[in-house]
Amino acid sequence: MTDPDRPRLQQHTFKRNAHINYFRRCLRALPTAAQSSDSNRVTAAYFCLSALDLLDALETTPEQRSGWVEWIWSLQSPSGGFRGSPFMTTSNEKTSPPHLPSTYTALLSLAILRAPLDRLNISGLIGLLRSCQAPDGSIIGDSSGVDIPQACSFVERCQVSLLNPPHADKKTWEGAYASRPGVVEAQGGTTYCSVAALSLLNHTATAGDATLRWLVGRQLGGFQGRPSKLQDVCYSFWCGAAISSPLGGFGKEPEDYPDPFHSYLALAALSLSHSQAELKPLDARWNVSVGTRTWLVTEIARIK
Amino acid sequence: MVEVGAYIPLGQRGVWSDVKPIAQDDGPNPIVPIMYSEEYRDAMDYFRAIAASGEKSERALELTETIIRLNPAHYTVWQYRMSTLLELKKDLEEELQLMNEFAVENLKSYQVWHHRLLLLTHISPQDPSSEIDYIHQALLPDPKNYHTWAYLHWLYSHFSTLGRVTDKQWKYEQRWCEEMLRVDGRNNSAWGWRWFLRVARPGAAASQADGVKEELNYTLEAIHLIPHNISAWNYLRGLLKHLKLPLTPLLPAILPYTARPSAQIPEVPSTFEFPLPSDPLPNDTPLPVPLALEYLGDSLIEQNQTIEAGEVFGELSMEYDRMRTGYWEFRRRECVEE
Repeated sequence: MTDPDRPRLQQHTFKRNAHINYFRRCLRALPTAAQSSDSNRVTAAYFCLSALDLLDALETTPEQRSGWVEWIWSLQSPSGGFRGSPFMTTSNEKTSPPHLPSTYTALLSLAILRAPLDRLNISGLIGLLRSCQAPDGSIIGDSSGVDIPQACSFVERCQVSLLNPPHADKKTWEGAYASRPGVVEAQGGTTYCSVAALSLLNHTATAGDATLRWLVGRQLGGFQGRPSKLQDVCYSFWCGAAISSPLGGFGKEPEDYPDPFHSYLALAALSLSHSQAELKPLDARWNVSVGTRTWLVTEIARIK
Repeated sequence: MVEVGAYIPLGQRGVWSDVKPIAQDDGPNPIVPIMYSEEYRDAMDYFRAIAASGEKSERALELTETIIRLNPAHYTVWQYRMSTLLELKKDLEEELQLMNEFAVENLKSYQVWHHRLLLLTHISPQDPSSEIDYIHQALLPDPKNYHTWAYLHWLYSHFSTLGRVTDKQWKYEQRWCEEMLRVDGRNNSAWGWRWFLRVARPGAAASQADGVKEELNYTLEAIHLIPHNISAWNYLRGLLKHLKLPLTPLLPAILPYTARPSAQIPEVPSTFEFPLPSDPLPNDTPLPVPLALEYLGDSLIEQNQTIEAGEVFGELSMEYDRMRTGYWEFRRRECVEE
């Protein structure tokens, strides 16, 4: 029976092979439409690699793996931290500064590929983190002052607990979190970042009463990012993760074409909901498989 | 002969003949390589070259415009453009005009708004009202755009700190916000803006007693207009929490939405001075309103009637808000196990 209220492309089975093929295809090439992600390619790579990790389908040849690892290391800036892609690498060092969100996704990608981290410039990385904290405690994306709201989650992810962002200032009248102190409306993504960051700083913390109330209120079936907005599959992860402690890939909405960002976050959300036995368990605070998180923690302890 | 409309590489245009382009070095094993358009690849090759030499020039400005039209998220190019504008002492009003066009085409690009913020910081007008009017216009086609609202917040915060926002302007802004909420009472961004104007900003009205009353009235009337409006309920709860006021005194205005048998609803005390729902309620309001049941439950906890509160959460879990059944069960158990 056809339900007239149901969008046409909706599917109810989990097409594991189609998803695997989708992410492998993205690793080989992204279409021209992805040009707007040119400066953040390592993040697109992380979405694909982490998805294949969750799908337990990351088998590659040793040559392929070491080639990818070398590409990621080529992004490490001599002064510490990673760039988003080789898009500005020239003989003039000043043209390609490191970038905070890219540093986070580069590190996780190396961990997924189980690459030893001996080449990691730890003191440079800590210097970068310090230089990116604004006077009000919020985190900016790079030393040029270009703000990337999501970056707030990054700091503690790297196991740097020396910074203590006053996240309470980002809490809005609704009981959830906005992108910057004073900004007037909370949002699912920024709330995830704040809850994950607080949770990593203080291992006993989870979403507080008011925040939990706001987060569960976002579910309409799937999740929306703000009250009275449409559902978007990526918020199944952002909201779902903050609460818990015919093509491959997923689109933003039932009839959209897939992209790595929404595809990966949809898989991550499915892993969190434990509804797919075929997926590895996810660590919601790090946004990477539990196995990869464990490996990374051990590896960081080894090289420190 | 050149085919009409075909792309002419920069190297074949006289103005770039002295520059040696720098190709991207993606190594032998790139991950997620992008199939760039010819125009983008070419422009980036020249951009790398001028960035490496530090050239700040008219042609550099043109090149950055070409690239951000192809990739408006290109933060490095935006930054280079800004420093070039300043170094060449360009007319920043003209740049603002260009940004008006960009804002319409790229409402969701964070960088477009950040560039605009830097421009306004440098231009620093004595009276920011024309910029405010422009932003009001920009919100019309996309009234929930997060970047635009964050920018409007920055405008008021920045220029009020400089002492350039008059009382008249604040009043005008409040009327504009009320108009936004009249057009769409469910616009959560506009509710957030009201919070800033009425509660959060220095000198806001809700810091005085009559301001508090006005604010509670406004919110209750919004609930009576759209009883299932989650933004209005959240605003009410946020207001009470912020002002450290109890929920219970407002119950007479809430209880009709809980669809309790009339025997369980006490008469409205004659001293009650807040707006009440219409009696009877409009036929098209599905009852009970789960948000009203939640309010009742929390009010019962406030009155130490936890058993009764648990029953209300139980109803939400089993019957009236099945989507969140786990959450309401969690709240019910909290009441019963205490």
